[in-house]
Amino acid sequence: MKLSERIVAWARLKSPWIILFNSGACNACDIEVIAAITPRFDVERFGILAKSSPRHGDILVVTGPVTRKQVKRLRMIYDQMPEPKYVIAMGACGATGGVFRGLYHVVDGVDQVIPVDMFVAGCPPRPDEIIDGVVKCLELMKADMKNGGKAWRVKAPAPAAEPKPAAVPGTEVTA
Amino acid sequence: MTNASPLAAEDVMKAMEGLGSVDRARTNRLRVIVSPERVREAILRAQGSLGCDHVIQIGIVDNGRVFELHYHLTGPHRTVVTIKTELPRDDARIASSHDLLPPAGIYERQIHDLFGIVFEGHPNLQRLILTEDWPEDEYPLRKDWTMRPDRRYGGSTPEGT
Amino acid sequence: MPEVVVPIGPYHPALKEPVNFKVIADGEIIVRLELDLAYNHRGIEKAAEARDFVRVVPLLERVCGICSHSHTTAFCKGIEEAMGVTVPPRGQLIRVIVAELERMHSHLLWLGVAGHEIGFNTLFMWTWRDREVVQDMLEELTGNRVNYGMNAVGGVRRDIEPPLVARCLKRLSPLEERIRKYADMVRHEPTTLARFQGVGRLTKEQALAFGTVGPTARASSVDYDIRRDDPYIGYADIPFDVVTDGQGDVFGRTLVRIGELLQSVRIVRYALENLPPGPVRVNTPRGAPKAEVLSRYEAPRGELAHFIRTNNTDKVERLDIRTPTLANWTSVAVSLVGSNLADIPVVVAAIDPCLSCTSRITIVDPGRRQTSVMSWDELRAHGIDFYRRKEGV
Repeated sequence: MKLSERIVAWARLKSPWIILFNSGACNACDIEVIAAITPRFDVERFGILAKSSPRHGDILVVTGPVTRKQVKRLRMIYDQMPEPKYVIAMGACGATGGVFRGLYHVVDGVDQVIPVDMFVAGCPPRPDEIIDGVVKCLELMKADMKNGGKAWRVKAPAPAAEPKPAAVPGTEVTA
Repeated sequence: MTNASPLAAEDVMKAMEGLGSVDRARTNRLRVIVSPERVREAILRAQGSLGCDHVIQIGIVDNGRVFELHYHLTGPHRTVVTIKTELPRDDARIASSHDLLPPAGIYERQIHDLFGIVFEGHPNLQRLILTEDWPEDEYPLRKDWTMRPDRRYGGSTPEGT
Repeated sequence: MPEVVVPIGPYHPALKEPVNFKVIADGEIIVRLELDLAYNHRGIEKAAEARDFVRVVPLLERVCGICSHSHTTAFCKGIEEAMGVTVPPRGQLIRVIVAELERMHSHLLWLGVAGHEIGFNTLFMWTWRDREVVQDMLEELTGNRVNYGMNAVGGVRRDIEPPLVARCLKRLSPLEERIRKYADMVRHEPTTLARFQGVGRLTKEQALAFGTVGPTARASSVDYDIRRDDPYIGYADIPFDVVTDGQGDVFGRTLVRIGELLQSVRIVRYALENLPPGPVRVNTPRGAPKAEVLSRYEAPRGELAHFIRTNNTDKVERLDIRTPTLANWTSVAVSLVGSNLADIPVVVAAIDPCLSCTSRITIVDPGRRQTSVMSWDELRAHGIDFYRRKEGV
């Protein structure tokens, strides 16, 4: 690694900037993310700053299931971020759609729209869990840098992808 | 303002004379059932002689046979006066009341988007809630609506379109 | 000069939630505003028709994470009314405690966000630090910080033990002291005075005509509070005052909210001290008879209405939710006309918009009936006229 690269890597790991995007959440995750910025939890002591412009961000925190209206917007925000970019899907809704799974106006989890690197569980996750998720994401970044990109952890596609069942409104997870 | 006494059913009956029957659900809920073309008249009378200055909600129910519209009004007397009317499912249209009740403009657009009821005379009856590329003739909150597998319901990524 | 359209959102640095404004401006002055706020529409009302009462409650809790208790309480008390079930007094008071703590956390959150919108980040950090005290109480009472899962049809799920009551009571006094400090600070701090006073003014007539609810209405001296006017879950026996203010601007709304914070402290203290013994929940039948209930609830943001229709089954036939933010949006667009572009964030924040709840769109024109055919000159004249009138007040 060249010296300049090492400086960039050090800076990136010591001060990741996060962007918060509400893709259709119930606000619970959002207020917990904001609570993580405020004095009790204070993510700034880890160098984590909440930024507003996607062009300045390293980590995109997406809260909530993705509503049909937000799909295009979420994708645009993601495309505007500079590489290397990481995505954290917040809460049960971000992972699978949660209680909203299968409703007519949502497309379920965030990974239906953009690639997700980290899922944080909870409904909503506590601020300390959110901080934990971001810090774990930093470890992932470190590993990626060592392996030269994200390609090393991309799994081979499943041999026969089973077709996604058509979403029927009102029906919910039966498991 | 708060000292005004609650409305008696008789007051409402007197004010709504000739429009329809009045019944009461509990102490401060009164309901008038009117025909669709006389809803505006009922609202005017409620605003005039009953002093209703606040619209709480325009409730809508699809009970499988007809659409029911419930205009919940209240005023300083703190009694909820509900004006109920029924619209046929095949040709659901009613005169808009956005000029009588300014907030009703939003509620009517919402109902139009989700149920497909046409409010005649509404200045801006456009898409309100659903995504821009939702099919025009589908109204998801109707009882008989289901998602059809052969249709696109919007919400695709730029490269997916 | 043609009119300038400034699109803001749905993702914007100053916004925490997805909303889209199309601001039509003449220089710095807003002449018209189009709001699009349906980005969070998920289809909850349809899903509520397909799930039974037990499973609807957690769903409704997630209509909005900030006022989650409001939605479940409004729904549960509606279903209880349809069933003819009375919640035991202890269960009712526990609902009141959680509801008022929720109001406190929501108003403190609002105060912080409003401070943030005017660049007063110190206030933001301070109120959110104090909000954590409320969050701690909520967590100890209910088990979760945000979506409490406290309500069930027929009562509440958890009881409060005496040591917890003592712990909560002990926390209330310092909190009250802090809130008094904010009340004093907001009245004297030049930053808040400059940015809140005279901004987004609504007269009493406008507030009534546009159907505003909650603190927005009460700041325009509309004396309207469901807790007093249509008492539910035991509010009839609890002493509290309805806070109103005559200023009608953002400053008035701030004062109303701070006043309500103090009232909430008073209610929580009263409820904790007068908690009657007994069960917290009664068993309810599985289904509800055919009934029609309009369940009203004073949420932190204003009157919340759930229109519930049941039909002898264990599912609702229709659940129609009218959220306070939807009722207040019309007034935002009206009170912004004629203000500075710079005032948008704070005026919008002043109604404490809750977009997850609302997710609807509104387009409001100053002259509602003619604007669609108004020329730019007329619009401009209207904007200037409005501004003059506003300044002349």
